[in-house]
Parts: sequence; C-alpha cells; structure tokens
Amino acid sequence: MIPPAAAKTFDELTLGHGVSLEDLIDRDALGEMVKSFFDLFGVPLRIFSEEGKLLGDAADQIPLYTFLNSVKAGRAAMAEVASKVKNITLGEDGMASYPCVTGEHYRVAAIQYDGKRIGRMILGPFVTPAQVEAPPALLALDPDLDPARLREFFQAMPRAEDDSVVKLARHLGRTLDLLLFSGHRALLTSNMHLASVRESFRELEDKNDKLQTAFDRLKELDRLKSNFLATVSHELRTPLTSIIGYSEMLVEGLAGDLTGEQREFVQTIRDKGEQLLQLIKGLLDLSKLESGTMSLRKTQTDILGTLRDVAQTMTPTARKKEVELVVEVENGLPLIWADTERLRQVFLNLTENAIKFTPPQGRVTLSARMTAIEAARPEDAGGVVILSARRTAIEFRVSDTGIGIPEDERGRVFDAFYQVDSSSTREAGGTGLGLSIVRRLIDGHDGSVRITDNTPKGTVFVVTIPVKRATIG
Amino acid sequence: MQLDFVNRELTIKLVYYGPALSGKTTNLQALHKAAEPGASGRLMTLETKDDRTLFFDLLPLTFRNQGSLAVRLKVFTVPGQVIHASTRRLVVQGADGIAFIADSRAAETQHNTESFMDLRENLKQHGLTLRQMPLIIQFNKRDMPDVRSDAEIAELASKGREPVYLAVATRGLGVVESMIGLLHLTWSALDAEHDLNKKFGFDSKAFLAQVAQKLGNPKPIPEILQACVGGALDVLRPEAG
Repeated sequence: MIPPAAAKTFDELTLGHGVSLEDLIDRDALGEMVKSFFDLFGVPLRIFSEEGKLLGDAADQIPLYTFLNSVKAGRAAMAEVASKVKNITLGEDGMASYPCVTGEHYRVAAIQYDGKRIGRMILGPFVTPAQVEAPPALLALDPDLDPARLREFFQAMPRAEDDSVVKLARHLGRTLDLLLFSGHRALLTSNMHLASVRESFRELEDKNDKLQTAFDRLKELDRLKSNFLATVSHELRTPLTSIIGYSEMLVEGLAGDLTGEQREFVQTIRDKGEQLLQLIKGLLDLSKLESGTMSLRKTQTDILGTLRDVAQTMTPTARKKEVELVVEVENGLPLIWADTERLRQVFLNLTENAIKFTPPQGRVTLSARMTAIEAARPEDAGGVVILSARRTAIEFRVSDTGIGIPEDERGRVFDAFYQVDSSSTREAGGTGLGLSIVRRLIDGHDGSVRITDNTPKGTVFVVTIPVKRATIG
Repeated sequence: MQLDFVNRELTIKLVYYGPALSGKTTNLQALHKAAEPGASGRLMTLETKDDRTLFFDLLPLTFRNQGSLAVRLKVFTVPGQVIHASTRRLVVQGADGIAFIADSRAAETQHNTESFMDLRENLKQHGLTLRQMPLIIQFNKRDMPDVRSDAEIAELASKGREPVYLAVATRGLGVVESMIGLLHLTWSALDAEHDLNKKFGFDSKAFLAQVAQKLGNPKPIPEILQACVGGALDVLRPEAG
C-alpha cells in the first residue's frame, strides 16, 4: 500500500519532513470516503495532495456543469474557476472561500497534520438556499445556452449555507487527522519492526564474525600445538634412543663388567628410558592421528588371536596386581578388516588401564561377540528407512571391577591429557594420552567406543568395529 | 536537529531514556497534559504490551510565534526493558538531548546503573560520548516508599556534571522543570555549534520562557532552572549571569 514511504528513514518519518498524504492514506479508500461524504451531505468534494495531485473526487455529477461543458465559453469559464479554486491562498485559519460570478461557491480548507499543511480539500460548488434565481452572469455566459434549462439546472444545484460547509470542512479535517494519525502510527510501527529486526540481525552478524575469528584462531593454535608435538617428539626420540642403546650395552657388559649395584642402576636408567620412549611414541602417534598423517595398514584380522596376544602380554602385569585376566570370545567370529598392530595397541591400552584401576582380587575380562549396527545414524534424519542398512560388526568389551568412571566424566576421558583424578597425589600413573589415541584409532576403523557401568561395580569399555569396510559413502 | 530553511523551522529531537518502568512514558503524558492545546500534538504510543512501551512514544511540541524561527520539539521515549536494545539504539540515534529518567527507589539502583551503561554503549555505537550529549538526570517516583533520600541524591549530584531533578511524574511534579533544564542545555549546545541565536535573531531566553509558559509554568526561567539539585547547569548558563 505504501511502497514509497518504506524507503524513508526513521528520522524522516518522525521528525516530520517526510510525511505526505499519499503515504498515510489508502487512495482507493479515500476515494470511497469522498463519495460517501457527497452522498450524505450533497456537497461535492475533492481532495488534493500538497503537490496538487487529485486524490479523491466526487464532483462530476453536477448537471449544470455537464450542460456548461457542452459549449466552449462554458468550458473555458469552468477551467478558469477550477484553476483559481485549486490554487487559492489560504488564510491563517487554513480556510478560504471562492464565490464565482456565476453564483456558485467553493470552500477550500487545508488538510493539516502535525502542524503542517499536507493537502487541501475543496467543497463545492454549492449555492446558498437564498440564491433562488440563477444570476445574470450565468445566463449571459453564452447565447447558445438555453436560459430556461440553465435556470432549471441552477435550481438543481447542491444547496448549503456557507457556515454549514465550514463546519463540514472542520469535521472532515478532524476525521482525516484521525486517519492520518492512525496511518502514521501504523507506518512507523512497521518501519520500526523492520528496522529493529535489521538492527538485531546486524548485531548477531557482528557477534558471529567475532566468534568465527576466535574460532579460526583457536583452530590455528591447535594446529600449531600438533605440529609442535610432532617436532618435539621426534627430536626427543633421537637422543633417547642413544641413551637406551648405551645403557643396554653397559648392562650387557660390552664396556666391562659391572658390579650388582651398577647393573641395577644402569638397568633403571634403561627401564625409565624405555618408559619415556613409549610416552614420546604415544605423543607422536597422537599428533599423527590428529593431523591425519597416520596410515593404517588394514588386513583381514583374526579377533581371537589378537585378544589372546593382548592377554598374554598383560598377564605378568595382572599377576603382579593379583587381578584375574580372562578372554571370552564367541565361536565362529569372522575376520575383520583392520590394522592388526593398531588394534592390538587399542586393547593393550584398554586392558592396561583396566588392570591399573582394578584392586587386587578383581577381574578384567576381554570379550568379543557378533553384533549389528545401523549404518545410517538416526540423526541423519530423512530417509532412514531407505538408507539404514544393518551391518555386521564385532563388539569388544573390556570390563573391570575397578573404581568406575563417573557418568559426567565419560565424555571427557577420551580427550588428550585428561585425567579423572587430576590431583598430583593420584595413585595411578599415566599421561592421559592412551584413551585419546584409542579413540582416534577406533575412529580410523569406522568404529565407535563408549563407556558403560559394570555390575556390581567397575567399568566396561565397549568398542564396536564393523566387519567389512564401509561401502556406503 | 533538522533545519528547514524554506519554512524557517527547526526540529529538535529529545529522548527520554532510562530503565524499565521508571516513568518515561508518564513524563511524556504529564507534559502532554500540561501543554496548551496549540503547543502539543497527539501523544503517539507505538506498540505496547501490558502498558509497557515496545518501540517508543512520541510527543510533538511546537512553538511557532517566537521570532522568525518556529521550533518543533519531538520528544521520544525508549523501551526500557533489556531485550529491546536494538530499538533503543535506533531511537537514540540523532538525539539532540537526553533526559535520563531514574527510579528513586533504593532497590532500583542497579537497574538505573545498567540502563545508564546501556545508554553510554548505545551512544558509543553512534560515535558519540556522554560528554558531548546534553543530558539531565531525573530521579522520579519521589513519592514512593524506600527511595534514596534527597540529601543522598543532592550530595551525589553535587559531584556530577549533569543537572539532577527530582520528580513525581504521576502528579506532574518536576516534569516541566526537567524539560526546561534539558531544553536549556540542548539549546546551548546547538547554539554553540550552529550559532542559531545570531543567524535567526533568536532570543533563546524568551523562547525558554515561552515554552515554560505553554507548559503551564509561568515562573521566570532562572527560577525554574534553580529546581535542579546539582550538576553543572550553571557553567552552561551564561545568560543567567
């Protein structure tokens, strides 16, 4: 309805220089009101914008004017009157009256809004009830016009007292003012709505930009951290290999015999060196996994063999802690497509962890069974019925009867360097790298890992790995 | 400020700012009630919910027969609730002067502070500082229980720059005085920047007196300006001597 005003600024609309009659009032509805006014009071009415544009007109039904229009002199006289009335100078009170020599009257009144003139209304032509006879000037207008008919049409002219017309004009002015006020308010409201939405959007965009910048910076920092880890681990490994190598040579007596105590000391150096090397390897693995540069050498892997191997390796540790270590593998499991060495590393890590957190006389169980997983996850939404295919998978469980992991910590134990008990006095050792590596290795096998409770106490790490390579892209 | 050279008409934008329910709209209603019919237009209220302003209120005041320059004041309020931050920012844009309407109740002190910080932030977004902006502070609701005492406000006001007024807007007390104080500051600032008094042969003292008169306060201007309890109205009042 008001496209031109939509482009006006808030200031233009509120500080009063941009409001026009056309902006605020629907033209068709104004036309209807003007016609209805004419029907009710019988006085013709026209409404002009401040620029002189006709916005509403109910004056074309006057028979006298139709008759006058039929001759040239009549047309000219009417055009002159129309022009004079339209451009008449209004008084301080916003009103003016125009009496034609041919007897009719016009009343012109300003349409004001917020103290400004934004248009004018012209009421008329009309004649006063006292004007019974057609004035001589009308009869003498053109000899071609039949005086009898002129008199007849003059009789039919709308009749009103000028006072009443002034009152009509004032009333109409007030009605229009109300319409203009409501229109202005509606226009401002819709403008404010738009402007507020735009402003809120701009604000959000601003914040998004800032967040994005911060996010990019953090990602860059994370990449730098991984690079640093990779470089440092590599650089640390070289001298450490020499330390281990030379201590080994000393232990083996290549540099002469050692006393029992010397041997013991050098042996400790060697052991601690080995420990440090494992840690550095772990760091290197992690940084390779994070940067995606670790390649998995996948082959057909035998599950029972792998788990037995893990158990064998861990048996001395378990015995030392008086923890029972059991392997339970379902019969007839298929081979899975996996990197055997890395899979072994996963279960070594989980088993070592399990033993570490299980008190003496406890029990750690390594088990594997066949299961099925949904290839398409439910949160993928659309087309689950079509897309989801059940895939065969192997579910591994490493259960212990240890201290358990609180539910709210379970999501975080896979973060690098995270320790549930981070106090410096904690009983169990470790760097906090193991589980982080485990999860990344399992990710590399399209598998998943989660933690559940063991009853009555303890923790179960459940690792699920699909039997075949994923074929669904 | 908008200057219409053709019609020799000046439009000044004044904004009533402050926390939610501190009485900004009530101030405008009181001004509207006090004003002579010829001086005030309709009070326009844009979008309300539960009697609370969502967008703004707008009161147009016009003072015509002064010298050769007609002055139109457009007095706005902003929505006080925190969530309407973007609307406040839009309304405050282009303000020539600001009346900060504070709630006198001791329990509302925190809200006053937050709203004032919000004003400062919004001005900053438009590249303005509080120092540049003609500003008065009104402590409204003086008739409520548990308000901060007159002595406390006077003591604080004496330390600050902004003129401080006490008001009970629901009864119209202090409302016109606050407005005259704000207009005085605003006019001084606009005149300093645009040399209006000289350019238009404008007598700002007589203008203020006319505004006060039409807002129903016939007292002499120096007396009305004395109503403020602190701040630096004096330094900006060369005409008062």
